[in-house]
Amino acid sequence: MAAQPKPLPAHQPSYLEGGGILGWLTTIDHKRVAVMYLVSALFFLALGGFEAMAIRVQLWRPDNHALSAAVYNAFFTMHGTTMIFLVVMPLLLGFFGNFLIPLQIGARDVAFPRLNALSFWLALVAGILLHLGWIRGGLPDAGWFGYANLTERYFTPGLAIDWWAIGLLVSGTSTVLTGLNFLTTIVAMRAPGMTYMRMPMFMWSLMVTSILILIAFPALTIGLIFLLFDRFFGTHFYVASAGATPILWQHLFWLFGHPEVYIMALPAFGIISEVIPTFSRKPLFGYPMMAYSICLIAFLSYGVWGHHMFATGMGPVADSAFAITSMLIAIPTGVKIFSWIATIWGGSLRMTTAFYFALGMILEFTLGGLSGIMHASAPIDLQQTDSYFVVAHFHYVLFGGVMFTIMAAFYYWWPKISGRMLGERLGKWHFWLTVIGFNLTFFPMHFLGMWGMPRRTYTYGADMGWTNLNQLETIGAFILAVAFLLFYVNIFKSLSSREERAPADPWDGRSLEWSTASPPPAYNFATIPQIRGRDAWWILKYGRAGSRGVAAYMSGQAPSQPQPDQPVSVEDIHMPAPSIFPLVLSLGVGVIGLGLIIDWYRIILIGAAVTVLSIVGMGFEYADFGEQSHDPEHAPSSGGVDVRKIGLWSFIGSECVFFASLISTFIVYKSRSLAGPGPKILNIPLTSFSTFVLLMSSLLMVLALAATQRGDKRWERIWLAGVVTFGLIFLGGQVYEFTSFYNEGMGLTTNLFSQSFFVLVGFHGAHVAIGVLWLSVLWVAAMTGKLGKSRALSVELAGLYWHFVDVVWIIIFTLVYLMQAVPGA
Amino acid sequence: MIGRGSNRYSTAAIAIQVAIALAIAGCSAAGHPMTTLAPKSNLAQWIQTLFIEVTVWDAIILAIVVFAFILAVFVFSSRVGEAAPASTASSDLGLEIAWTLGPTLVLVMISVPTIRTIFRSQPVVAPAGALEIKVVAHQWWWEFDYPDGAKTSNEPHIPVDRPIRLSLESADIIHSFWVPQLGGKRDVVPGQINELTFMATVPGMYPGQCAEFCGLSHANMRFRVFVDSPDDFAKWDRAQLAGPAAIPAGDLLASNGAKVFANSPCTTCHMIQGISKGYIGPDLTHFASRTTLAAGVLKNTPENVAKWIGNPQETKPGANMPALLLPGPKMNALVAYLEGLK
Amino acid sequence: MSDIADAHDGQTHHPGAATYLIIAAFLVILTAMEVTVFYVHALHPVLVPLLIVLAAAKFALVVMFYMHLKYDQWLLTGVFIFPLIIATLLLVSLILLFAYLSNHMAPIG
Repeated sequence: MAAQPKPLPAHQPSYLEGGGILGWLTTIDHKRVAVMYLVSALFFLALGGFEAMAIRVQLWRPDNHALSAAVYNAFFTMHGTTMIFLVVMPLLLGFFGNFLIPLQIGARDVAFPRLNALSFWLALVAGILLHLGWIRGGLPDAGWFGYANLTERYFTPGLAIDWWAIGLLVSGTSTVLTGLNFLTTIVAMRAPGMTYMRMPMFMWSLMVTSILILIAFPALTIGLIFLLFDRFFGTHFYVASAGATPILWQHLFWLFGHPEVYIMALPAFGIISEVIPTFSRKPLFGYPMMAYSICLIAFLSYGVWGHHMFATGMGPVADSAFAITSMLIAIPTGVKIFSWIATIWGGSLRMTTAFYFALGMILEFTLGGLSGIMHASAPIDLQQTDSYFVVAHFHYVLFGGVMFTIMAAFYYWWPKISGRMLGERLGKWHFWLTVIGFNLTFFPMHFLGMWGMPRRTYTYGADMGWTNLNQLETIGAFILAVAFLLFYVNIFKSLSSREERAPADPWDGRSLEWSTASPPPAYNFATIPQIRGRDAWWILKYGRAGSRGVAAYMSGQAPSQPQPDQPVSVEDIHMPAPSIFPLVLSLGVGVIGLGLIIDWYRIILIGAAVTVLSIVGMGFEYADFGEQSHDPEHAPSSGGVDVRKIGLWSFIGSECVFFASLISTFIVYKSRSLAGPGPKILNIPLTSFSTFVLLMSSLLMVLALAATQRGDKRWERIWLAGVVTFGLIFLGGQVYEFTSFYNEGMGLTTNLFSQSFFVLVGFHGAHVAIGVLWLSVLWVAAMTGKLGKSRALSVELAGLYWHFVDVVWIIIFTLVYLMQAVPGA
Repeated sequence: MIGRGSNRYSTAAIAIQVAIALAIAGCSAAGHPMTTLAPKSNLAQWIQTLFIEVTVWDAIILAIVVFAFILAVFVFSSRVGEAAPASTASSDLGLEIAWTLGPTLVLVMISVPTIRTIFRSQPVVAPAGALEIKVVAHQWWWEFDYPDGAKTSNEPHIPVDRPIRLSLESADIIHSFWVPQLGGKRDVVPGQINELTFMATVPGMYPGQCAEFCGLSHANMRFRVFVDSPDDFAKWDRAQLAGPAAIPAGDLLASNGAKVFANSPCTTCHMIQGISKGYIGPDLTHFASRTTLAAGVLKNTPENVAKWIGNPQETKPGANMPALLLPGPKMNALVAYLEGLK
Repeated sequence: MSDIADAHDGQTHHPGAATYLIIAAFLVILTAMEVTVFYVHALHPVLVPLLIVLAAAKFALVVMFYMHLKYDQWLLTGVFIFPLIIATLLLVSLILLFAYLSNHMAPIG
C-alpha cells in the first residue's frame, strides 16, 4: 500500500468532536446532517426488513394465517414506502450525497447549509408521520403506489391513508429542498479548475438526480394534493361516478414514480463508477459517454411512465410509444455496464469487500435490466405486470443494483466517515451471504410470476404449485436477514474498536475526499485545492493520468507530497453558525400534519404558528433576509452568479411542473362535469383587467429592482409599494370572482370543472399571496432604510419569483379563461 | 491469477442455464394451473412467441456480459501487488460505438414484433362472430353477463375456437382481469370500459385471479374460466337461461331450505330467479352448477357452503356478506336447497 | 464547458427603464389582441393556435426581459428551460392520452 500523504500534519478536531447534544440538534454541517440521515435510515432499514421477513413468513405455506390480511397488506405497503422513501433515498442522497458532495468537489459545505438541515428534519418528521398509524388509525395499506380510487375515503376509511399522504407530502418537500441544494452546490461550488468534465462521476450522477427530483416530485405533490382534497374536502378528483377517472392518479404518480426509479439508480451508478476505478487502479473507462448516458437516462425517464400502465387500456398507439421509449433506456444503461467491465479490464485489482459488492452489483443489476426489457415489450408486460415476475425484476434493480451499491459505498467510504475501518473478514461473509440470500429470495420469483402468482396476495391456494418456491424464498430471506445482521455487527464492531484508526487514504483513492483527514475536520479542507484534471487527488499524488504515478508506485517510491497552493491558518476559515430553526420549523410542519389528520384545528394553529415564526426567524437570522452560505460571493464555479439565484431558478423550474400538472388536470376535466356551471361562467372582462394589473405589477417590479441597483431609495420604496398594491388588487379581484361564483352556485365540490378550476387558480392565488407577503417585508425593509444597493439581490430574487407568478398567470389566462370556447380534450 | 471468487461467479452462469431449463419445464401446465407459459388462446400464444424471442435476445446479451465480466475479472487483469501494472486505457471509440449500436440493433429486432403484437391484440372492433360478454368486477367477485341474458359469477363458460370479446367494467374500484393461460391481464377501471379480445383454442378449466391490488381480500378474488366445446357451451348456456331447478318432489329438506332462504336476509342481495330480486351479490339461480364459491376460494361442497354462510369473514376478510347465524337444522336445509340449484 | 472562463464581474447588465416600458407596451398590446381574438367569432376556427402563439410571446417577453434570462448566464436559462420543456411535454402528452381515454370512458351521467 502506498504511503499516505497527509496535507495537514497537526491534529485537527474532526467534525464528530464537540458540541454535545445541542450541537447535533442545531448542526448545519453537511457531514453531521449526513450522519443523522444515516442513523434514521439504519433504523428504518431494520423496520422495513422486519416487515419483509413477516411477509416471507406468511407466504411460507398456502392458506397460512401467520398474519391477517389487514396486517399483511399494511406490511407490504410500508415495506415499499419505507425502503424507498426512508431508506434508499436517505442513504444515497441524504447520507452519501450529503457527506461527499462538498468533499468531492472541494467545498466546505453545501450551498444552503440551513436548508440542508431542514431537509433532514423534514425527512425525519415524514418518517414519523408515516408510522404514527402504529399508534392511531392503522398503518397505510393501499400499496406503495396507493392507487386511487381504493384510497378514497369511501373505500378506505380511517386515518391510515391520511398518514401516508401527508407523510409523503412532507417527505417530498424535504427531497425537493435537497435536490435544489445539491444542484446549486454542484453547479456553483466546485473547486477552481474542476470543470464539469473533471467532476467525479458520482457528482455527475447527483447533479442529474437533483434535476430529476426537481422535475419529478411536483407531479407526486399534485397527485397527493388531489387525494387529500378528495379525502378532506369532498372533491372528486379520482371518483368515476362524478365523471373523473382514477387513471389520473396513475399518470401523476408514475410521472413521478418512474423518474424516482432513476433518482435511486443514478446515484448508485455514480457510486459504482467511483468504487470500480479505485479498486482497479484505472481511470473510469469512457468518462464522457458515462456522463452523457446519465443525462440521456434522465431525459428518457420522463417519457416512459406509461410502461407501468400498459394494462390500463391506454390504446395501441400510446402502448407502442411507451414501449419504444422504455426500450431506448436500455441503450445508455448498457453503455454503463460495458464501461464498468472495460474499467476492470486490464486493471490491477484489489479484492476488497467494497469491490466485491461492486462486482456483484454489475451482474445482479444486469439481470434486473434484462427482465426490464421484457416489461418494456407491452404484450409481454400484460402477462408479467402485477405478478411476482415484476417483484423479482424491481428487486434485482433496487436490491441487486442499488442495495449492493449502498453496501459497496459503506465499505468504501466508512473509513472516511467514521475514521475506522469496517472488518474485511466479516465483510466477505456479509457479501457472500447477501449474494446467496438475495438470489435465493428473488430469483425464484421470476418463476412464481411466470406461473401466475399475483403480487400483493396475502395467501394462495395449495393447488397452484407455488408452495415449494415460496419456501425456498423464505429460506433465502432468512439468509439475507443474517447477512444484514452481520452488516450491523460490522458497523458496531468498527465503532466500538479502540485501536484501528483509518488512514486518510486507505484505498489509494482518486478523488478529493481522500486528501483530507479521516474523519474530516468540520471545514473539510484547510486549503481549497486547485484542480488540474479528472481524478484530482490521483493527479496530486502521482502526476497526470497516473502513468508516471504507477511507475513510481511500482518501484516502491513514495508518491509526491501535494503542496497546498496557499496555506491559510485554520482560524481564518469561517463556517456558518448553527441554527435551531430547521428543527423547530420541521416540528411545526409535523404538528400541522398531525392536527390535520386527527382533525384538531387548535393543534393545526399551533403548528402553523411555529412554522411561520421559524420561517420568519430563519429569514432574519442573517442580515440579508436569506439563506447564506459561508462565502456565497466566492463560490468558485458559479461564474459570478450568487448561489441563491441559482437555487431560486431551480425552484422556478420545479414549479413549472407543479403548474403543468394542475393545468393538465383542468384541461382534461373541465368539460366532464355531470351537472352545474361550466367554463361559460368565467368572467372575461374582469380577468382581462386582472391580467393587466399583474402585467403592470411586473413592470413596477423591474423598475423597483433598477432603482435599488442604482441606489435610488426613494423610487425603490415607491415602486415596491406599487407592486404590493397591484398584487393586492389582483388578489381582491380573485376574491370577488370566487365569491360571485359561489353565489352563482359553483362551490369547490360542485363538479369536476369547479374543483379543478378552484384548485388551479387557488394555488396560483396562494403563490401571489406569498409574493405579496415577501414583497411587503422588502418594502418594510426599504422604508426603514435597510435595503439599498448592497442588497439588490434580495429584491432581484423576490422579483424573479414575482415574474414567474406573472408568467404562470399569462398561461392560465389563456388556457383556462380565453379557451373556454374550445371543447375539452 | 484467478481469485477465490472465480468459481462462485461462474456458478451464476450455470444457475441461469438451469433456470432456462426449468422455464422450459414450466411450459407444461401440469402442477401450475395459472402458468403463463402454456398458452391456450391465440392471444396467449402471441405473447408467448414474443416472450421467447425477447428471452433469447436477453440470454445472448447476458452471455456476452457474463463472458466479458469473467474475462475482465479473472483473465485480463492482475491483482494488486503483482508485477503487472494497471493499464491506463480510458476510452476506445470503436468499442464504445459497438456497445451502443449493438443493443440498438437488438432493440429494433424486439420492437418490431412488439408493436405488431400490440396492434394485433387490441382490435378496435370485435372480430366477426365474436361472443361479447360483459364482465363486472366487484370487491371481491366477478360478474359475467352474456348477450342472451345468461348471468353467472366467478365461473364463466366460453366456447372454444370462437372469438371472445370481454368488455370490462368495475362496480367499485380498480381490479384486473387475468387468466394467464388465456392471455395477458387487462385492468378493470371504474368509469371506463376496457376490452379484452381473444380466442381460446383448447377446452379446459383455466383459473384466473384479480391482479390489481383491490383492498383487504384482493388475494381472495379468484375465478375460473371453462372453455367448452360448442355443444357443451350451448348446453350450459341453455341451462343458465332456464329458471332455478325445481325441488324434487319429496325432498323435504330442500323445500324447507327454500322457505329459510325466502325469509332470510339473503334475498336482499342475492337473486334467485322468481324468488328474490337482490343484485348486490352474485346471482344464485344456478349456484350448484358452479364448482367453487366465495370467488373461487372454496370448493362447492355442503360443508363449505355452511362454513361460508356461517362466517364469511373467516374465508374472505372484509367481505360485504354478513354472517347468517342459523340453528343447525335450518342451515342444513338452506345448504340442501342451494346445492340443488343446478 | 468551462463555466469559469466566461465569468465576468458578477454584476449582470440589466436593460434600462426604456426597454422595460417598451416590453410593457408589447405585453398590453398582446393581451388586448388575445381578448379581441376571443370576442371575434370569425377567428374561432384558429382560436387555439392564435391564443397559444400570443401567450407564448408574452411568456417569452417576461422571461427574457423582466427575468433577465436574455442577459444572465446560460446556466440559469438551462436550469429553467429543461423543466419547462418537460412540463410542456407533460401537458401535451396528458391531453393526448386522456383524449384517447375519453372515447373509452363510460358515458357521462
